[in-house]
Amino acid sequence: MKSGKLDHILKTHHRDAYLWARQCCSFDEEMAKDVLQQTYLKILEGQAKLKDESKAKTWLFSIIRYTAIDELRKAGKVVSLMDSYDPIEIIEEIDGTNYEEIIKMLPEMQREVILMVFYHQMTIAQSAEILQIGLGTARTHYDRGKKKLKELITKVQIQEEYGK
Amino acid sequence: MENDEQLEKFFAQMKKQDEQLETPAFPEVKTRKFGFWIPAGIAASMSLAFLFVQEPTPVESVSPEVVIITLQEDEHQNQQFTIEESTFLDTWESPTASLLTEY
Repeated sequence: MKSGKLDHILKTHHRDAYLWARQCCSFDEEMAKDVLQQTYLKILEGQAKLKDESKAKTWLFSIIRYTAIDELRKAGKVVSLMDSYDPIEIIEEIDGTNYEEIIKMLPEMQREVILMVFYHQMTIAQSAEILQIGLGTARTHYDRGKKKLKELITKVQIQEEYGK
Repeated sequence: MENDEQLEKFFAQMKKQDEQLETPAFPEVKTRKFGFWIPAGIAASMSLAFLFVQEPTPVESVSPEVVIITLQEDEHQNQQFTIEESTFLDTWESPTASLLTEY
């Protein structure tokens, strides 16, 4: 693919790519910027090649995710690629508008699938591709993530209403 | 997508909040392209340097390899030496050839 076209694709998805990088880096803005730079470098140096132009966003999100995992590992924040079904309980009171903190309470894979589907308007199949897991597994993460997030939102709302 | 209103509302509000986030500038990447002018310039400089550095090779004059010294008598019976330089010898006579005939 010509570098001009690749440049255009990256520019088109730049905003979404940044937001996704931020979400992959536990909402750490500086780390997200680094991850994005590294991602673009990987792409422009030809370490990552786009084969199907129609899957540009999926491809870009996948590179961002793996670059973020590497960065988190370097920073000592070890992230398991494996599934985690363990429910995370609310320990302290959270502001209902602190969406990022609420999202962070979901297990890793569930959080990623939910963000891709609801925030980035992707399909479960696309999410499965980005996470490099089977469609069935992605669907399970999606269902559990949805259920868990609903519970969390309700719990936070109740906390706000009745003051813990 | 049954009963996802609560989630959709949640993410709509989250997105609205994220609108405040400033997107970092898209990095300008300078591609390392070798255009026509760079190799052309290198070739031109090299050919110029070749012309200036190259010394003219001196044309070697053919040095005489043979010196012919002959003893000749002129009309007054005086003996004279004539010395000639040549690259080749028409005839060659051994300096001791006279011994063979005169002996």
